[in-house]
Amino acid sequence: MSISRSTSILAVDFGNVNTRSILIDLVDGVYTLVAQAQEKTTAGFPHGDVGVGFVRVLTQLSVNTGRRLISNEGRVISPEQSDRTGVDLFLATATIGRPLRTILMGLFGEISIASGKRAASGTYVDILETISLGENRTLEDQLNAITLARPDLIFITGGTEGGAEEPVLELAQMARMALRLMPKGVKPSVLYAGNSAIIPQIHELFDKLTGIFIADNVRPTPERESLESAQKSLAQAYNAFTEKRGLGFDVIAEMSAIGVVPSAQSYQTIVDYLGRSVRGGILAVDIGSAVSTMSASVKRYTATSIRTDIGLGHSANVILNAVPISAIREWLPFQATDDEITAYTLNKSLRPATIPETVRDVYFEHALLRASMRTLLRDSRPTWTPDTALDNLNTPMPYFERIIGAGAALTGTGQPMLTAMLLLDAFQPAGVIRLQADPHGLIPALGALAYIIPEAVVQVLDGRSLEDLGMAVSLSGIPRKGRAACRVRVTDERGEVTTHNIMGGTIVSIPLPLGVAANIQVSASGGVSINGKRRLKIDVIGGTAGIIIDARGRALPLERSVRGLAGQLPAWYEQATGVKHAIPDEWLSGALPETSKVEEPAAQKPRRGRRKKAEEAAVEEPILSVTGDPQAEAPPKRRGRRGQAAEAPPPPETKGEDIDDLRNLFS
Amino acid sequence: MTYEIYFPNHRHLLTSTLIRRERTLPDTGGRIDVNPMTRVGLNDVIAHTTAPSPYVVIDAVRFLKLRKASDLDALMEVHPGDKIEEGQTIAVRPRGKRLISPITGSLIYVGEGRIILQETAETVEVEAGLNGMVIEVEQGRGITIEAYGAVLQGMWGNNRRTVGTVRIEPDEGVENIFRDAMDIELRGAILVTKRQIKKVTLEVMEDQGFIGLIAPSMDVSLIDDAMKAPGAVLLTEGFGNMRMSASHITFLEDMRGRQGTLDAVLPAPLEPRLPEVVINVPLTGTNRPPAPNTTQPLRRGDPVRLGSGAVGRVVDLPKTPVLLDNGLRVMCVQVELVAGEKVIVPLANIDYLG
Repeated sequence: MSISRSTSILAVDFGNVNTRSILIDLVDGVYTLVAQAQEKTTAGFPHGDVGVGFVRVLTQLSVNTGRRLISNEGRVISPEQSDRTGVDLFLATATIGRPLRTILMGLFGEISIASGKRAASGTYVDILETISLGENRTLEDQLNAITLARPDLIFITGGTEGGAEEPVLELAQMARMALRLMPKGVKPSVLYAGNSAIIPQIHELFDKLTGIFIADNVRPTPERESLESAQKSLAQAYNAFTEKRGLGFDVIAEMSAIGVVPSAQSYQTIVDYLGRSVRGGILAVDIGSAVSTMSASVKRYTATSIRTDIGLGHSANVILNAVPISAIREWLPFQATDDEITAYTLNKSLRPATIPETVRDVYFEHALLRASMRTLLRDSRPTWTPDTALDNLNTPMPYFERIIGAGAALTGTGQPMLTAMLLLDAFQPAGVIRLQADPHGLIPALGALAYIIPEAVVQVLDGRSLEDLGMAVSLSGIPRKGRAACRVRVTDERGEVTTHNIMGGTIVSIPLPLGVAANIQVSASGGVSINGKRRLKIDVIGGTAGIIIDARGRALPLERSVRGLAGQLPAWYEQATGVKHAIPDEWLSGALPETSKVEEPAAQKPRRGRRKKAEEAAVEEPILSVTGDPQAEAPPKRRGRRGQAAEAPPPPETKGEDIDDLRNLFS
Repeated sequence: MTYEIYFPNHRHLLTSTLIRRERTLPDTGGRIDVNPMTRVGLNDVIAHTTAPSPYVVIDAVRFLKLRKASDLDALMEVHPGDKIEEGQTIAVRPRGKRLISPITGSLIYVGEGRIILQETAETVEVEAGLNGMVIEVEQGRGITIEAYGAVLQGMWGNNRRTVGTVRIEPDEGVENIFRDAMDIELRGAILVTKRQIKKVTLEVMEDQGFIGLIAPSMDVSLIDDAMKAPGAVLLTEGFGNMRMSASHITFLEDMRGRQGTLDAVLPAPLEPRLPEVVINVPLTGTNRPPAPNTTQPLRRGDPVRLGSGAVGRVVDLPKTPVLLDNGLRVMCVQVELVAGEKVIVPLANIDYLG
């Protein structure tokens, strides 16, 4: 198989609930997403083998495309044959199963251990223990901590380049002793990312005992951190672990051109690439069944956080350890006890693929979803810059030009406007933002493909293969309910004009068919703005949710009483879905919840004559209010600058440069 | 996903079927004591394994005041692999100090001036848990047993397995079994209750000595108590206050007085087993029941269980997503319930019972 000449590409992503496949092919000389299919993952009962779901999803893809992709023996047909059966390239990615159980060793907690933790945050790693030289435990305690934890990996860091060697060797010797004590067949692999001067000794210590990965020093100097090499080695270790652990992954890895790549790695890759081609930042969030991922590109610096304790299926039983019940209750328009919320999460983990059937269940599900996304946002924020600029949670959020959502709970609502609303609720961006969804698992596939055919990634992303939910315009400040918050004038491609008055406190979809261009002019009423501006004129393309106007205000003025929420949330759902929810009176009474709701300061109402202060207060709402960057917060421009978009798109870069960017990323 | 080839979730409720179950050893390994084509009973021990036990590290150079670590080898009285008793001499200096073992276990390692001992590991016996035939043995990993019987799979278990006779709770409920009135029938039984488990239910379980409990649901606050319960606990529906479905009640009442294995597996991601009760049912005639068909796409007429616990048959598979009352628009299935009512539910929420 000549990878450089590959024209047809098959990618399969194994999630904990769903196995998704996509087929990319050259159409008129451009790599294009031509088909997708989805089946249930079959790693659990009754099959215990991902291969069953793999065959099913490829059979379905074959049926959808009329093109045979899989042999009778269940193997991908490759390379592509003259009769168009098969594909040139097959790739596999996975989020499935438990993370790599890892012991992290380093010299000092705040230096090498801290860097090791940051390197591990980009892949499916569960750090069971950290062991450092400076700690109080005896050698016996440390050995027992390692051996009884039954890790899959021992990750050794420590020492700066040209620095002391002896202490790092001491750590490595302890790891070796632990390895020697562990029974054959369960010995963990070793990843070394410390002082490179002792790499020969490291090989000597471990080569005959177990598999070893060597990476660049995560902390070459006390001031500098270098994580990329260690992150790649962690991905390799995950791949090796995936192949070893059964469930049929050994067969899949053998067919795949690059083994089984962790999906989160793909998020980092794709968000990093997208972040290089836009002026604002990029935020991608995937709330999966067992694992959630958030990647953010801010000023061309990309960081990815993976949480195995946040998930709306398999991990729902542990989600309450990460997400406070009070944060969930903020989104419930009825009384719910702690036990009822806990029971919902536990039952969800017992039946991870379940879709909410009742009105009450949809509120539980979406409350968990929003609270999970907000927790991820809060916890990930400090990693978005190499310095400490965003560590203070009161600092305004950076501006994101695009937000991409993934995960069945988010993308499987069957209502694009509802998906858009959930993203807006969780991140509360102000101004103009493009909302996208990835229902087919395109990002995991493209991230893996980027290592091999970067131009295919660029072309598929340019081809609008992600679902465009639409351009959202979110008003800052607190619009008054029952009064027009803004006026939107839409001029379509034929020059036809429609005008919409958007009432304060509502979220509205203005119909504009998918892919159809239009120009919109938004005029904000008194007391509100579009990211600091009073008027906005911008060219947009219709999404599956049309054009989204969020006139509910920023920070989102959520009611603080259950009765208030019972009036507010169903109205928003009705605006997003057209379906009216009836909240029975008896849902509003009943025993008070065991945990009282966290009281937040009341949303500041703009007072006449003090609009600007009110706007500033809204913009400076701390922590979870995603607001624009200082540039975006510039004072409103003078009237009369017709035709100039408020969010001027960045100068287009050539495709060649795009590909070079991506190539450089992997060189 | 197209409807013609929708593969449903499986959760069995079968009165007679061929059952194949793996009995796997933990990752610490172990010894398998049976051979392929051996007939095994419910309580037969099929393998031995050991639980991980801690190590004891002795700085022998320091204790024995040696000049060099290499001097230690000559002083050793026992060697790696040897069993040791607490108080036994491990090493001794000529006319000097004795190093005494602080534990009973084995000597694992001597080197770099250190001695590493490991406490005797607790031996764990693995029982067959099924009356059947061993059809496959994979040394170091586990065995596969094939049996015939009835099977009911539930939602949650407390990670225990037990073998006993199926009994149904008295009409007045488990909670009303007086603690001082010992019911000999319940001792060693798997008791079925149609009511939600309460704290008192678990207390009665301990008092009366029944070793298994099958119930529809349980309050989340009782999870810790259930995990510490003296026997296996299986929930057929889940957490909260849910009633047992009529089909489960009928099934369990029909199994009254029969011996069964309650394998209350604690659900976990990728766990290839579900919590279940497997009951010995005598085969009639010479025809052997087939294994459940787990590879067949969902079809009209298939028996299914809804998320609510209700049971019915598939009557329609709409080809386009259906708008639910809650606003979601998802792929659905129409099911006719036992009582004749027809309901539309998300396809993802049904379990195939066959």
